[in-house]
Amino acid sequence: MRIKLASIFVEDQARALAFYTDALGFVKRQDFPVGQYRWITVTSPEGPEDLELSLEPNENPAARTFQEALFKQGIPVTAFEVDDLGTEYRRLRERGVVFTREPTDSGPVRIAIFADTCGNLVQLYQKRG
Amino acid sequence: MRKRGVGPEAPRAVLSSEGLQALCRARARLLAGGDEPLRIRRLAAESGLSPYHFIRRFKAVFGETPHQVRIRSRLERAKELLLCSEESVTEISLRLGFSSLGTFSARFARQVGMPPSRFRRTAARLGPEAVSCLGLMAGEPG
Repeated sequence: MRIKLASIFVEDQARALAFYTDALGFVKRQDFPVGQYRWITVTSPEGPEDLELSLEPNENPAARTFQEALFKQGIPVTAFEVDDLGTEYRRLRERGVVFTREPTDSGPVRIAIFADTCGNLVQLYQKRG
Repeated sequence: MRKRGVGPEAPRAVLSSEGLQALCRARARLLAGGDEPLRIRRLAAESGLSPYHFIRRFKAVFGETPHQVRIRSRLERAKELLLCSEESVTEISLRLGFSSLGTFSARFARQVGMPPSRFRRTAARLGPEAVSCLGLMAGEPG
């Protein structure tokens, strides 16, 4: 048994694909129609290359409720590791990404949190030391 | 001379918890719609931002402008009324506050992929079990 796929709910799949590739810098791996939706996955150019993130439609009202509640409480739905948080923070800010937490030390990691334009907050973390 | 980025109406670089709550409240009110036209200016004031900064920040956080959210929410309501009420397309357009039947039909067609009258006829022909699928299909971004 292996973990090869993680998924997040997004409000608008086309917008999500644009944000996760153009703004964050991930690469589109799969994109094909499934009924009225699309099966879209992205991977990170920094690897691991076979670990995919799926951008799932949040059309189910339960998914939307879940997303909105976490968002309002300021809780990220997932977290991505970065080598240099300060650089990523500045790069994303320049692309108009809004952060709800600027780089902050938090125990063994340094973290920052941003809004993904699709109903989620996402955390970035850099291991310290 | 106007100073840039200074004063209470310019947003802070990092969105505070209160700022996030205020944007979420504004969005919820836009989605809830209702009869009263929601003025962007007022929503901005309630978020402690100038209209310019409010619209920019709203779009950067939610991916669409307050106006787009309001139109989308009205079109969702229009779909419900077309499927579940006997009201004419003109009545629905007026009720939802569109400036004209033409504007309503064009916006509806752009988002849903067919004009309101055809959406209603198609749904009626396919029967009730298809309605939920149609609703989902219509929710797809154009």
